[in-house]
Amino acid sequence: MSITRPEPALAAAIASEMSLLVDIGSAWTKASVVGRSRGRWRIAAHLAQPTAWGDEELRRALAARLAPAADRRVADRLDDLLAGAPRISCHTPRRAGRLALAAVSEQLSAASAQRAAESAGWTVQAAAAADDGRSIAERLASLQAAEVDAWLLGGGFEEGRADQALEMASLVAVARNGSGSPVIWAGASSLADEVRELFEADAVSVVANPRPSATREDLVPLRHALEELLQRAVEPAGTRQHTPVAFRRSVAQLARSTIRRVVGVDVGARYLTWAQADEDGNAESRVFATGGLSAARLVTSGGPGRLARRLPIAIDELAVADALQNLHARPGTLPQTEDELVILHAAVRQLLAQTVGDEGADPDLFDDADLLIGAGRTIAAAPRPAQAAQLLLDGIRPLGVTQLALDAAGALAPLGALEDGEIAEGMGALRDDLLVPIGTSVVCRGGRPGQIVMRVRVRRAGWPEIGPIELRGGQLQLLSLTRGHEAELDIELLNGATLGAGRHTARVQATAAGGLVGLMLDARGIPLVLPRRSDDRRAVLAGWRDTFLREPSIPVAETLADEPEAEG
Amino acid sequence: MNGLTLHRVRVPRGAIPTVQVGAEVQPEQVLAVRRQPRAPVSVRVTSALHRRPHELAELLVAKPGARLSEGDPIARDGDGHEVSAPVGGLLLGLSAADGSVLVAPLGEEEAVIGHVRGRVREIEGGWITLEVPGVAVRGVGGTGDAVHGELVIGVHGADEELRAAAIDVGATGKIIVGGSRASAETLTRARAMGVAGILLGGVLDKELRDFEAIQRRRREIGGLTGSFGVVLLEGFGKVGIDPQRFAWLRSHAGRMASLFGAEGLLFVHDATPPPGRRTLPRVGERVIAHRRPFQGRAGVLVAELEDMHAPPSGIPTRMGLVRFEDGRLAAVPMANLEATLPVAPSG
Repeated sequence: MSITRPEPALAAAIASEMSLLVDIGSAWTKASVVGRSRGRWRIAAHLAQPTAWGDEELRRALAARLAPAADRRVADRLDDLLAGAPRISCHTPRRAGRLALAAVSEQLSAASAQRAAESAGWTVQAAAAADDGRSIAERLASLQAAEVDAWLLGGGFEEGRADQALEMASLVAVARNGSGSPVIWAGASSLADEVRELFEADAVSVVANPRPSATREDLVPLRHALEELLQRAVEPAGTRQHTPVAFRRSVAQLARSTIRRVVGVDVGARYLTWAQADEDGNAESRVFATGGLSAARLVTSGGPGRLARRLPIAIDELAVADALQNLHARPGTLPQTEDELVILHAAVRQLLAQTVGDEGADPDLFDDADLLIGAGRTIAAAPRPAQAAQLLLDGIRPLGVTQLALDAAGALAPLGALEDGEIAEGMGALRDDLLVPIGTSVVCRGGRPGQIVMRVRVRRAGWPEIGPIELRGGQLQLLSLTRGHEAELDIELLNGATLGAGRHTARVQATAAGGLVGLMLDARGIPLVLPRRSDDRRAVLAGWRDTFLREPSIPVAETLADEPEAEG
Repeated sequence: MNGLTLHRVRVPRGAIPTVQVGAEVQPEQVLAVRRQPRAPVSVRVTSALHRRPHELAELLVAKPGARLSEGDPIARDGDGHEVSAPVGGLLLGLSAADGSVLVAPLGEEEAVIGHVRGRVREIEGGWITLEVPGVAVRGVGGTGDAVHGELVIGVHGADEELRAAAIDVGATGKIIVGGSRASAETLTRARAMGVAGILLGGVLDKELRDFEAIQRRRREIGGLTGSFGVVLLEGFGKVGIDPQRFAWLRSHAGRMASLFGAEGLLFVHDATPPPGRRTLPRVGERVIAHRRPFQGRAGVLVAELEDMHAPPSGIPTRMGLVRFEDGRLAAVPMANLEATLPVAPSG
């Protein structure tokens, strides 16, 4: 057998026109090979594999993917070429920041501080509140036992004085034992000087009170301070290559370049990241270090039961609990059975709903983005695009008209790890392959169940009009609108339904972009309401699932092609 | 025999180490002690010094966290008047509302125990690092305390359920190797009989939660004594211990073992290397499958399928063909397989 060796010049030229985008997750690594083809940069191959399999196996598998299409003069050297190719990579943070929290009220100041911390990439290792029902000694013991990188103190409203906040601060001073770790005071500003007195000089930084009164909450300054502290105290080498940060940077660039409001949500094994950016590229993110698929909330008391009640098929709660625990224990494995996939997808929907969806109730998050991107292996690699669409729609309930897309290759985050000046270039070069469009959703809120809430007409230039399609409250309908096609929507809102654009707007015109699923007309409301009886509930959930998995009932593009123009 | 394994013991802030680097320690030996504060005593400061409550901070000569002996000064004004500690203890907190401070007398010494035999290598940053002459086996989960005791085998086979009836007074203070499962009743009885810990292949999550709830209630009413831990080796559900691992455990019955429930970790002292595991098995290797429907079953990887294939879940992935020990031949995602090695891989 003769082996053709590549000419060195050819190999060098190929190596210079090839690079790797790699996102190393805590459980799965996603990698793409980017190469030039006919003068354009394209994603030539991509794959995901358990991170534990290592880099050598990753290259070998990528080379195997590339081999059938590769120039045969370099086909047997692909592994070496990949090894030498420039690599743009990001990774899940090795560990989250760890925080101990002390505040006055469990329900108010402690809850606000905890929400801010948990959405800024921190985990709360120990929490104590003056009204938590424990003795001072018990509170002290729990604070002393916690291994933490920083301390967060809060409590007291801006009007009035809360001496309990000072008492809690002094408890932290005892527990901290002069360890030198930073302290944030995010309580009543009038107590700031007294709190500083309890610690050594420069130990305490003061942040605006996230709970200035019983009825007002503003977490933004504290969240930003905690994000900054995370970088300073836990990751002094920088966070640009951390996947949550890189993902936010990519979303910001995408928003800036498309002049749209963009949201990206990445569900990983450990992290759940929400990144949003407005038309100018101003980005915000929520980083939940324990919000991913191994989230404790899924498996703690009541979690499996709640999940079992939201499954479209009957699966024993005990089996649900074991499946969730196994997912938690071995996040690098895959669901092999249909039942396990159903449980996994229900878990993703629940995580999204509770952290960034309608149950999360974060008023600073967009609820009317123009583009919603699903990322992370479970969403982006769902067996069918319609399943990914359902995860996003059921979990997040994006109000209004929203284009949905998938970061199927997992390339967004690695591109976000580039230098500031290079992100735009990198994303521009890959614009055709970066996102896989799955279609456009129209989600309304309000309206009465069973009554008509949306009447939709679908128009495409040169084609007859479809509709009016009437949707009753609780209904869901999918129409085919293929990738690369657009349709004009004329949406009439009835019986109190709204798309969020002006509460009393009765008619909305919008443009829908096509994709692998098409047009999704969703009148199920926000939040999703399910029947109490288990059989009825399961029937409703199964109906929704079947609607997503069925071929769209009215194939817009194809039907239009078949119908005579006169009918328009 | 295997070499040394490092084990870190957390020392809570405020605890004082009682061992030094280089010292040989036993499983039951105290590595550090701490004294927890008891119900605090309120000491009026500003009123005693005829000052306003909000002036408290500037009067204090001791800061929160200071250890005070009876009679030590707490606060002093410019005229030389002092408020001193009525009892010895920890200056715990201050209240600017009434100008008082809290002094908590310290309770009895509480011990931090390592539960392993070995040599102290390092004491730093809230941790004591020990070199343990033994091997560690990491499980996938667990619950409860750190314990140590003699390793005993409680079942006949690796896939047999550990029954409550199998636990008698002879198991007191021991670490029992169970099989594929133990009910909440079995775990409760084991604890009541003074068993130190239980090692299982799997357990139903519900059983473990029921057991934890029972323990919590007993703790609340004050009826719980002694420590107890459970470690799971393979997964949740009814999952047997891999027969290779079970045979290794059986060969080490009678050795001293240390079990760390919350950390899902087992040490066996003076042991030979345990059978190892490696992700991405090669064709011809013995494998163990994770995830249903083959969870916990062992077999041989006879081939890796070309291209991507989808299991019933529909997720396209690399699949391997496994001849299980019961004779069945099945395709399993490669991500759900681990090679089982006769001994642990080095490094």
